[in-house]
Amino acid sequence: MEGPRVQLVVTCLVDAMAPRVGRAAVTVLERAGCRVEFPEGQTCCGQPALNTGHTDQAREMATHTLEVLDASEGPIVIPSGSCTEMMVHHYPRLFAGTDREEQANRVVARVRELTQFLADDLDTHIRATAGDRTLAFQYCCHGLRGLGLDGPADHLLYGVDRAEFDGDRECCGFGGLFSIEMPAVSGAIMDAKLDRLESSGAEVLSGGDISCLLHLEGGLRRRGSEIEVKHIAELLSGEVLS
Amino acid sequence: MDRDAFLTRVGRAVMAAALPVPPTVSEALPELEQTDLQTLFRARAMEVSTVVHGPVTRHGTPRAIAGIASGHDARTFIAWDDLPVSGIPSALTSAGLTRIDAQVPSGEERSGHQLGYLRLDIGVTGADAGLAESGSIVLSHGPGRARMASLVSEVHIAVLEVGLIQRSLAHWARQSPGLPGDTANLVVVTGPSRTADIELHLNLGVHGPRHLHVVLVS
Amino acid sequence: MSQPVSFLSRAERLIGTPEAAAIDRGIRHMAGLRDLAMTEYAISDEVRDRARAIRLHALSHLDRLLAHFTERVTELGGQVHFAADATEANEIVAGILQRSGSRLVAKSKSMVSEELEMNRYLESQGIEVVETDLGEYIAQLAGDTPSHIIAPVLHMTRHDVGKLFADELGVDYTDDPIRLNMVARVELRRVFLEADAGISGVNMAVAESGSLVLVTNEGNGRLVTTAPRLHIALMGMERIVPRWEDAAVILEVLARSATGQRLSVYTNVITGPRRPDDPDGPEELHVVVVDNGRSKILGGPTAEILACIRCGACLNVCPVFRTVGGHAYGTVYSGPVGSIVTPGLHGMDPWWDLPYASTLCGACEEVCPVGIRIPSMLLNLREIAAAEDRLPGWLNRGMKAYTAAATDPLRWARLKRLARVLTAPFSARGWIRRIPGPARGWTNHRDLPRPPKESFNDWWRENRGP
Repeated sequence: MEGPRVQLVVTCLVDAMAPRVGRAAVTVLERAGCRVEFPEGQTCCGQPALNTGHTDQAREMATHTLEVLDASEGPIVIPSGSCTEMMVHHYPRLFAGTDREEQANRVVARVRELTQFLADDLDTHIRATAGDRTLAFQYCCHGLRGLGLDGPADHLLYGVDRAEFDGDRECCGFGGLFSIEMPAVSGAIMDAKLDRLESSGAEVLSGGDISCLLHLEGGLRRRGSEIEVKHIAELLSGEVLS
Repeated sequence: MDRDAFLTRVGRAVMAAALPVPPTVSEALPELEQTDLQTLFRARAMEVSTVVHGPVTRHGTPRAIAGIASGHDARTFIAWDDLPVSGIPSALTSAGLTRIDAQVPSGEERSGHQLGYLRLDIGVTGADAGLAESGSIVLSHGPGRARMASLVSEVHIAVLEVGLIQRSLAHWARQSPGLPGDTANLVVVTGPSRTADIELHLNLGVHGPRHLHVVLVS
Repeated sequence: MSQPVSFLSRAERLIGTPEAAAIDRGIRHMAGLRDLAMTEYAISDEVRDRARAIRLHALSHLDRLLAHFTERVTELGGQVHFAADATEANEIVAGILQRSGSRLVAKSKSMVSEELEMNRYLESQGIEVVETDLGEYIAQLAGDTPSHIIAPVLHMTRHDVGKLFADELGVDYTDDPIRLNMVARVELRRVFLEADAGISGVNMAVAESGSLVLVTNEGNGRLVTTAPRLHIALMGMERIVPRWEDAAVILEVLARSATGQRLSVYTNVITGPRRPDDPDGPEELHVVVVDNGRSKILGGPTAEILACIRCGACLNVCPVFRTVGGHAYGTVYSGPVGSIVTPGLHGMDPWWDLPYASTLCGACEEVCPVGIRIPSMLLNLREIAAAEDRLPGWLNRGMKAYTAAATDPLRWARLKRLARVLTAPFSARGWIRRIPGPARGWTNHRDLPRPPKESFNDWWRENRGP
């Protein structure tokens, strides 16, 4: 079966810090029958600058991203709710009234988050697996509130043994550069979440954003916890957890 | 600041304001519950610790109220002159309660008179409406209808005619758009006075009445 | 306003304290009650739209509504005063009290009076002011400030209150909330009945009828506006709606969002002073309409925040507020709404850091009963702070370098290699426990992953490239 041709955007963090998530996204998209392409020259969507108030610099990075993506065709798929939300909700605003307005709207209309694309657009039969381990799933904020990604995630996680993870719809305290500007506050929010995670009995923690997950994984390692952290793309790629 | 200068400054800010476009909404007010209004009123009032009695007949109302008062070991009461059922004050006085005058004098004697409210057991009022969805009663004050009667006693007893129960505050407000202008004071009462300021521990009767009884009259 | 130290340093003093824990417990409970009350509303989105439309309409007609309201109140025999700022407001109120010879004032909860620091001013003029909301009364006795706009002493335990009452009021120690409540009831009852004047806030004013709407659960708001001869109502100028029906819609979402009640216990609607044949009520009514920076907000990038109805729902769901409590925000308006209101009222200097006290998780906007787009306004204020060059140098320099790299694929590749090289001395098995420089804050609380050798770009070129 010839599946759709998709343009994979892996995000700055996956590229630099967690390439395994990008590889997993390639695997699952191919399992779903897609022809995966990787637009050359992609870097960062600009969200870090937008969130610190450096709006002009955010626009510069967004411009670069638009140029890279506008040269490609087909759905643009991103394994991150947060970066998808940035493009879908903030790009039109950043370029409103500029000569890139049309380009921004054209590109943004093609942008889909990975689980949204798999569950809603492809209606895939692929389901996530966590082996025989108990999973806690964190609904990362931007994807949850900005894109409604809880539905796609629950759909794809059907059949996985889910721990009762109290507060799984509450922020993990990452907040981008918030975690560095206000480290004590960010760390305290994280600690409260990790307490609840540990008492949930989960063996694996997953979510749709590697940013939040790296923050939580760093916290788990500091505690010496055994809980493993996996992006949902990894659970979908068919990788069997040991 | 002078009124005109103040309003001019506000007007300039309004002109400059970049406000989002308001959502469009239909004119119809939502109806949340399908239950009949009296049943709903009773259930919701009980949820906020209001005791609902009756419906009783008009004839039986004074005796019902005297019964409630004796259940609270009451000695004193204050009441509206303008009650929907006659004979209530006399029923209370014949049950041995003393009526405290609700007319507050102006000037020097004001505070002296009001200090007489320090030990007040019962306040009796009518009600202009009941609101089913919130279990509330509406009291409009004015001649013969003292505000203090629902405010300073330990127990407040309100007489509500069953036919006056409305769906919700918004529905009632739409039906009576000019009502607040007709009186210097109107109050919607939803249960007895309460607070949760100490460790969110729910306490009844912090400043207002500790007990609220609504006597439905058919 | 308290001494301007940074949000972070105030927050650091509060994290992990019993105060912060008590607030977290309390507001999670309140947020749960709110959820129950709003989900009962099968059509909650429609109701929120309606409330939002009413508030936005009011803001875009504010001058006309205020003019109409003023006419009505004046016709009814009340007086309306206009205060451009805190000094004017305090002087107006002190003037009214002094002319009437008032010495003792009973006060019900008013956020505006906290904003104006009115109690301190009136006391300097020899006027005794007693707060009558139980929480505010406790805070006043303790010489403390409210830590939550709906539940002012959420940060105190029953033991704190018991000890305070024993010390300050000379009663026997008890930590039973019911008995503490009785103590306050008895102490305050005499104040209500003897006070020369009552001061209240205003939840909403109705332009059409000239009415003031005040909600309380305890009944103190009614007593303060009924028993004393004189009533002074303090009103933020944005607190107005056109019609009584509009007020009713707002009241329903206000109570549900604040405490999960369908309506507050007492919704008190005051339309002018006592009328000739009324048996009771105040003989004089003064309304003080306060600007104090609001017209500046209305004309600026955060105008929408004036639609706020002060329910506190955004505080209760905010991960930052839950962790640090209201005192970390340094002023009376805390939490997400306060991070927008405070810099608006009092200026970016020194309050520019409040908009950064947020993870931008969006929980606030999700629960706001009037749909205020809080995160996007936080971003507006951050943009202003950056443009005013208030951010630390490392952040500006870092963002400049990052932007340069992220707009040029060659520099992007170099940045990744550089990050790997620079982290080498601090890494063990792919993780970093301590690192100097700006990321120090991160490693104070958690390990930092070291960038792997092969980036995704590298992998793609190696395995999938042409």
